[in-house]
Amino acid sequence: MTSQAYLGQPPRPAVWLINLFTTHKNAESIFGDLLEEYSSLASKSGVSFAGRWYWRQTVKTIAHLFGSGYRAAPWSTTAAAVGGFLLHRFVSGLPHKLLSAVTDRYLAFWSTHFNAYIWVLKGMTPVHLIASLFVGCVIALAAKGREMVATITLALVLCALIGSAMVWVATHWPLGIVGMLWTFADPFAIVVGGALVRTRRSPAITLAKHV
Amino acid sequence: MPGRDYLGEFEHIVVLALMHLADRAYGVTVRQEIEFRTKREVSIGAIYATLDRLEAKGYVRSRLGDPTPERGGRSKRFFHVTAKGVEAVNCTQRALQKMSEGLDLGFIRSYS
Repeated sequence: MTSQAYLGQPPRPAVWLINLFTTHKNAESIFGDLLEEYSSLASKSGVSFAGRWYWRQTVKTIAHLFGSGYRAAPWSTTAAAVGGFLLHRFVSGLPHKLLSAVTDRYLAFWSTHFNAYIWVLKGMTPVHLIASLFVGCVIALAAKGREMVATITLALVLCALIGSAMVWVATHWPLGIVGMLWTFADPFAIVVGGALVRTRRSPAITLAKHV
Repeated sequence: MPGRDYLGEFEHIVVLALMHLADRAYGVTVRQEIEFRTKREVSIGAIYATLDRLEAKGYVRSRLGDPTPERGGRSKRFFHVTAKGVEAVNCTQRALQKMSEGLDLGFIRSYS
Protein backbone atom coordinates (compact mmCIF):
# COMPACT_ATOMS: atom_id res chain seq x y z
CA MET A 1 0.00 0.00 0.00
CA THR A 2 2.84 2.37 0.84
CA SER A 3 4.71 1.76 -2.42
CA GLN A 4 1.45 2.00 -4.36
CA ALA A 5 0.63 5.21 -2.54
CA TYR A 6 4.10 6.58 -3.26
CA LEU A 7 4.00 5.65 -6.95
CA GLY A 8 0.49 6.99 -7.20
CA GLN A 9 1.44 10.63 -6.66
CA PRO A 10 1.55 12.51 -9.95
CA PRO A 11 3.14 15.99 -10.14
CA ARG A 12 0.93 18.28 -8.04
CA PRO A 13 1.29 21.37 -10.30
CA ALA A 14 0.12 19.26 -13.25
CA VAL A 15 -2.85 17.99 -11.25
CA TRP A 16 -3.72 21.57 -10.28
CA LEU A 17 -3.48 22.75 -13.90
CA ILE A 18 -5.79 20.02 -15.22
CA ASN A 19 -8.16 20.75 -12.36
CA LEU A 20 -8.50 24.33 -13.63
CA PHE A 21 -9.89 23.17 -16.97
CA THR A 22 -11.94 20.03 -16.29
CA THR A 23 -15.70 20.18 -16.04
CA HIS A 24 -17.25 18.86 -12.83
CA LYS A 25 -18.81 16.01 -14.81
CA ASN A 26 -15.47 14.75 -16.16
CA ALA A 27 -13.16 15.60 -13.25
CA GLU A 28 -13.47 12.28 -11.43
CA SER A 29 -13.02 10.11 -14.54
CA ILE A 30 -10.13 12.16 -15.98
CA PHE A 31 -8.16 12.21 -12.71
CA GLY A 32 -8.92 8.54 -12.09
CA ASP A 33 -7.78 7.54 -15.60
CA LEU A 34 -4.60 9.62 -15.37
CA LEU A 35 -3.76 8.27 -11.93
CA GLU A 36 -4.35 4.67 -13.05
CA GLU A 37 -2.02 5.04 -16.05
CA TYR A 38 0.53 7.06 -14.08
CA SER A 39 0.75 4.37 -11.36
CA SER A 40 1.08 1.63 -13.96
CA LEU A 41 3.85 3.53 -15.83
CA ALA A 42 5.64 4.44 -12.59
CA SER A 43 5.84 0.80 -11.52
CA LYS A 44 6.95 -0.36 -15.01
CA SER A 45 9.27 2.42 -16.19
CA GLY A 46 10.02 4.56 -13.14
CA VAL A 47 8.58 7.64 -11.51
CA SER A 48 10.50 10.15 -13.68
CA PHE A 49 9.27 8.55 -16.92
CA ALA A 50 5.73 8.50 -15.56
CA GLY A 51 6.08 12.13 -14.46
CA ARG A 52 7.14 13.19 -17.97
CA TRP A 53 4.21 11.25 -19.42
CA TYR A 54 1.86 12.96 -16.97
CA TRP A 55 3.14 16.40 -17.97
CA ARG A 56 2.75 15.59 -21.69
CA GLN A 57 -0.83 14.47 -21.02
CA THR A 58 -1.42 17.62 -18.97
CA VAL A 59 -0.37 19.99 -21.75
CA LYS A 60 -2.37 18.17 -24.44
CA THR A 61 -5.38 17.68 -22.19
CA ILE A 62 -5.50 21.37 -21.27
CA ALA A 63 -5.35 22.34 -24.96
CA HIS A 64 -8.25 20.00 -25.77
CA LEU A 65 -10.34 20.98 -22.75
CA PHE A 66 -9.83 24.67 -23.55
CA GLY A 67 -10.94 24.11 -27.17
CA SER A 68 -13.92 21.95 -26.26
CA GLY A 69 -14.89 24.36 -23.45
CA TYR A 70 -15.03 27.21 -25.94
CA ARG A 71 -16.89 25.18 -28.59
CA ALA A 72 -19.44 24.01 -26.02
CA ALA A 73 -20.54 27.58 -25.23
CA PRO A 74 -18.99 29.99 -27.75
CA TRP A 75 -21.54 32.78 -27.28
CA SER A 76 -21.56 32.90 -23.49
CA THR A 77 -17.76 32.67 -23.42
CA THR A 78 -17.45 35.47 -25.98
CA ALA A 79 -20.00 37.55 -24.05
CA ALA A 80 -18.01 37.06 -20.82
CA ALA A 81 -14.78 38.05 -22.62
CA VAL A 82 -16.37 41.13 -24.25
CA GLY A 83 -17.95 42.17 -20.93
CA GLY A 84 -14.58 41.63 -19.26
CA PHE A 85 -12.84 43.73 -21.91
CA LEU A 86 -15.23 46.64 -21.31
CA LEU A 87 -14.96 46.25 -17.54
CA HIS A 88 -11.17 46.19 -17.84
CA ARG A 89 -11.25 49.39 -19.92
CA PHE A 90 -13.37 51.05 -17.24
CA VAL A 91 -11.59 49.71 -14.15
CA SER A 92 -8.04 50.17 -15.44
CA GLY A 93 -8.73 53.86 -16.08
CA LEU A 94 -10.01 54.50 -12.54
CA PRO A 95 -6.66 54.76 -10.68
CA HIS A 96 -5.40 57.39 -13.14
CA LYS A 97 -8.68 59.34 -12.92
CA LEU A 98 -8.46 59.23 -9.13
CA LEU A 99 -4.82 60.34 -9.18
CA SER A 100 -5.65 63.24 -11.53
CA ALA A 101 -8.53 64.32 -9.30
CA VAL A 102 -6.31 64.29 -6.21
CA THR A 103 -3.36 66.05 -7.84
CA ASP A 104 -5.60 68.72 -9.37
CA ARG A 105 -7.25 69.40 -6.02
CA TYR A 106 -4.06 69.52 -3.98
CA LEU A 107 -1.70 70.93 -6.57
CA ALA A 108 0.09 73.15 -4.05
CA PHE A 109 0.75 70.16 -1.77
CA TRP A 110 2.23 67.99 -4.56
CA SER A 111 4.41 70.82 -5.85
CA THR A 112 6.14 70.97 -2.46
CA HIS A 113 6.23 67.16 -2.03
CA PHE A 114 7.33 66.08 -5.49
CA ASN A 115 9.04 62.87 -4.26
CA ALA A 116 5.76 61.72 -2.73
CA TYR A 117 4.07 62.36 -6.07
CA ILE A 118 6.68 60.17 -7.81
CA TRP A 119 5.99 57.37 -5.29
CA VAL A 120 2.26 57.63 -5.95
CA LEU A 121 2.97 57.38 -9.69
CA LYS A 122 5.08 54.28 -9.10
CA GLY A 123 2.22 52.81 -7.10
CA MET A 124 0.00 53.01 -10.17
CA THR A 125 1.49 49.81 -11.65
CA PRO A 126 0.52 47.52 -8.74
CA VAL A 127 -2.89 49.22 -8.54
CA HIS A 128 -3.32 48.52 -12.25
CA LEU A 129 -2.44 44.86 -11.70
CA ILE A 130 -4.88 44.58 -8.81
CA ALA A 131 -7.57 46.06 -11.08
CA SER A 132 -6.79 43.40 -13.72
CA LEU A 133 -6.89 40.69 -11.06
CA PHE A 134 -10.31 41.99 -9.99
CA VAL A 135 -11.54 41.91 -13.61
CA GLY A 136 -10.28 38.31 -13.95
CA CYS A 137 -12.20 37.34 -10.80
CA VAL A 138 -15.41 39.03 -12.02
CA ILE A 139 -15.25 37.30 -15.44
CA ALA A 140 -14.56 33.95 -13.80
CA LEU A 141 -17.51 34.43 -11.45
CA ALA A 142 -19.75 35.25 -14.43
CA ALA A 143 -18.51 32.32 -16.56
CA LYS A 144 -19.30 29.57 -14.07
CA GLY A 145 -17.75 26.27 -15.10
CA ARG A 146 -15.70 27.93 -17.86
CA GLU A 147 -13.65 30.30 -15.72
CA MET A 148 -10.33 29.60 -17.41
CA VAL A 149 -11.74 29.55 -20.95
CA ALA A 150 -13.30 33.00 -20.49
CA THR A 151 -10.31 34.61 -18.77
CA ILE A 152 -7.77 33.11 -21.19
CA THR A 153 -9.88 34.25 -24.15
CA LEU A 154 -9.84 37.81 -22.83
CA ALA A 155 -6.12 37.56 -22.03
CA LEU A 156 -5.41 36.40 -25.59
CA VAL A 157 -7.41 39.32 -27.01
CA LEU A 158 -5.47 41.76 -24.82
CA CYS A 159 -2.16 40.13 -25.77
CA ALA A 160 -3.08 40.51 -29.45
CA LEU A 161 -3.91 44.20 -28.93
CA ILE A 162 -0.70 44.81 -26.96
CA GLY A 163 1.27 42.94 -29.63
CA SER A 164 -0.24 45.11 -32.39
CA ALA A 165 0.53 48.26 -30.40
CA MET A 166 4.11 47.05 -29.92
CA VAL A 167 4.53 46.51 -33.65
CA TRP A 168 3.33 50.06 -34.26
CA VAL A 169 5.66 51.45 -31.56
CA ALA A 170 8.58 49.41 -32.92
CA THR A 171 8.20 51.03 -36.34
CA HIS A 172 8.15 54.55 -34.85
CA TRP A 173 10.27 54.30 -31.69
CA PRO A 174 12.10 50.94 -31.32
CA LEU A 175 13.32 51.59 -27.75
CA GLY A 176 9.75 52.19 -26.58
CA ILE A 177 9.01 48.44 -26.77
CA VAL A 178 11.04 47.75 -23.62
CA GLY A 179 8.83 50.07 -21.61
CA MET A 180 5.72 48.34 -22.95
CA LEU A 181 6.68 44.81 -21.91
CA TRP A 182 5.14 45.24 -18.45
CA THR A 183 1.70 45.68 -20.04
CA PHE A 184 1.67 41.89 -20.59
CA ALA A 185 1.30 41.64 -16.81
CA ASP A 186 -2.33 42.78 -17.21
CA PRO A 187 -3.53 39.72 -19.19
CA PHE A 188 -1.47 37.54 -16.86
CA ALA A 189 -3.21 39.06 -13.81
CA ILE A 190 -6.61 38.42 -15.45
CA VAL A 191 -5.75 34.72 -15.90
CA VAL A 192 -4.50 34.55 -12.30
CA GLY A 193 -7.85 36.01 -11.18
CA GLY A 194 -9.65 33.29 -13.16
CA ALA A 195 -7.42 30.60 -11.63
CA LEU A 196 -8.11 31.91 -8.10
CA VAL A 197 -11.88 31.75 -8.55
CA ARG A 198 -11.69 28.36 -10.27
CA THR A 199 -9.48 26.92 -7.50
CA ARG A 200 -11.97 28.04 -4.86
CA ARG A 201 -14.88 26.62 -6.82
CA SER A 202 -13.36 23.36 -8.08
CA PRO A 203 -14.68 20.16 -6.57
CA ALA A 204 -12.69 19.12 -3.53
CA ILE A 205 -12.55 15.48 -4.70
CA THR A 206 -10.05 16.17 -7.50
CA LEU A 207 -7.20 17.41 -5.37
CA ALA A 208 -8.12 15.81 -2.08
CA LYS A 209 -8.06 12.31 -3.53
CA HIS A 210 -4.56 12.81 -4.93
CA VAL A 211 -3.12 13.48 -1.48
CA MET B 1 -31.86 14.67 -40.89
CA PRO B 2 -30.27 11.30 -41.72
CA GLY B 3 -27.88 12.72 -44.32
CA ARG B 4 -26.07 14.72 -41.61
CA ASP B 5 -25.20 11.75 -39.38
CA TYR B 6 -21.52 11.74 -40.30
CA LEU B 7 -18.69 11.46 -37.83
CA GLY B 8 -15.53 13.53 -37.82
CA GLU B 9 -12.22 11.69 -38.25
CA PHE B 10 -11.39 11.43 -34.55
CA GLU B 11 -15.03 10.81 -33.57
CA HIS B 12 -15.03 7.91 -36.03
CA ILE B 13 -11.86 6.47 -34.48
CA VAL B 14 -13.23 6.81 -30.94
CA VAL B 15 -16.56 5.14 -31.77
CA LEU B 16 -14.74 2.26 -33.49
CA ALA B 17 -12.54 1.88 -30.39
CA LEU B 18 -15.67 1.72 -28.21
CA MET B 19 -17.08 -0.98 -30.47
CA HIS B 20 -13.85 -3.00 -30.24
CA LEU B 21 -13.75 -2.72 -26.44
CA ALA B 22 -17.47 -3.36 -25.88
CA ASP B 23 -18.15 -3.38 -22.12
CA ARG B 24 -14.49 -2.65 -21.19
CA ALA B 25 -14.57 0.84 -22.74
CA TYR B 26 -13.49 3.62 -20.38
CA GLY B 27 -10.95 6.47 -20.71
CA VAL B 28 -7.76 4.43 -20.20
CA THR B 29 -8.72 1.48 -22.42
CA VAL B 30 -10.08 3.72 -25.18
CA ARG B 31 -6.88 5.81 -25.18
CA GLN B 32 -4.67 2.70 -25.23
CA GLU B 33 -6.76 1.00 -27.91
CA ILE B 34 -6.43 4.03 -30.20
CA GLU B 35 -2.69 4.31 -29.54
CA PHE B 36 -2.22 0.59 -30.17
CA ARG B 37 -4.17 0.54 -33.44
CA THR B 38 -3.23 3.92 -34.93
CA LYS B 39 0.29 4.32 -33.42
CA ARG B 40 -0.70 7.88 -32.58
CA GLU B 41 -0.27 9.38 -29.09
CA VAL B 42 -3.61 10.58 -27.83
CA SER B 43 -4.36 12.62 -24.72
CA ILE B 44 -7.05 11.76 -22.23
CA GLY B 45 -8.41 15.29 -22.75
CA ALA B 46 -8.94 14.59 -26.47
CA ILE B 47 -10.78 11.36 -25.63
CA TYR B 48 -13.14 13.02 -23.13
CA ALA B 49 -13.73 16.11 -25.30
CA THR B 50 -14.76 13.79 -28.15
CA LEU B 51 -16.82 11.45 -25.97
CA ASP B 52 -18.69 14.43 -24.49
CA ARG B 53 -19.51 15.65 -28.00
CA LEU B 54 -20.63 12.16 -29.07
CA GLU B 55 -22.76 11.83 -25.95
CA ALA B 56 -24.39 15.20 -26.62
CA LYS B 57 -25.25 13.99 -30.15
CA GLY B 58 -26.71 10.78 -28.71
CA TYR B 59 -24.13 8.47 -30.33
CA VAL B 60 -22.74 7.15 -27.05
CA ARG B 61 -23.98 6.73 -23.49
CA SER B 62 -21.99 6.55 -20.29
CA ARG B 63 -22.39 5.08 -16.82
CA LEU B 64 -20.23 5.25 -13.71
CA GLY B 65 -18.60 2.07 -12.41
CA ASP B 66 -17.52 1.32 -8.86
CA PRO B 67 -14.64 3.27 -7.29
CA THR B 68 -11.33 1.37 -7.33
CA PRO B 69 -8.25 1.80 -5.10
CA GLU B 70 -5.72 2.03 -8.00
CA ARG B 71 -7.64 5.10 -9.15
CA GLY B 72 -7.47 6.76 -5.74
CA GLY B 73 -11.05 5.79 -4.99
CA ARG B 74 -12.47 7.25 -8.18
CA SER B 75 -15.00 5.59 -10.43
CA LYS B 76 -14.46 4.55 -14.03
CA ARG B 77 -16.83 6.06 -16.55
CA PHE B 78 -17.82 3.33 -19.02
CA PHE B 79 -19.07 4.20 -22.49
CA HIS B 80 -21.10 2.29 -25.02
CA VAL B 81 -22.27 3.06 -28.55
CA THR B 82 -25.99 3.60 -29.06
CA ALA B 83 -28.01 2.41 -32.08
CA LYS B 84 -27.84 5.98 -33.41
CA GLY B 85 -24.06 5.85 -33.04
CA VAL B 86 -23.83 2.57 -34.95
CA GLU B 87 -25.95 4.11 -37.72
CA ALA B 88 -23.61 7.14 -37.81
CA VAL B 89 -20.58 4.83 -38.15
CA ASN B 90 -22.25 2.94 -41.01
CA CYS B 91 -23.20 6.19 -42.69
CA THR B 92 -19.64 7.53 -42.42
CA GLN B 93 -18.10 4.26 -43.61
CA ARG B 94 -20.44 4.20 -46.64
CA ALA B 95 -19.58 7.80 -47.49
CA LEU B 96 -15.84 7.09 -47.25
CA GLN B 97 -16.24 3.95 -49.35
CA LYS B 98 -18.19 5.84 -52.04
CA MET B 99 -15.66 8.66 -52.08
CA SER B 100 -12.76 6.26 -52.52
CA GLU B 101 -14.46 4.20 -55.25
CA GLY B 102 -12.53 4.33 -58.49
CA LEU B 103 -9.43 5.75 -56.83
CA ASP B 104 -6.16 3.86 -56.97
CA LEU B 105 -5.10 4.56 -53.37
CA GLY B 106 -1.79 2.71 -53.81
CA PHE B 107 -0.94 5.09 -56.67
CA ILE B 108 -1.89 8.16 -54.59
CA ARG B 109 0.18 6.96 -51.64
CA SER B 110 3.29 6.68 -53.80
CA TYR B 111 2.98 10.42 -54.59
CA SER B 112 2.36 11.59 -51.03
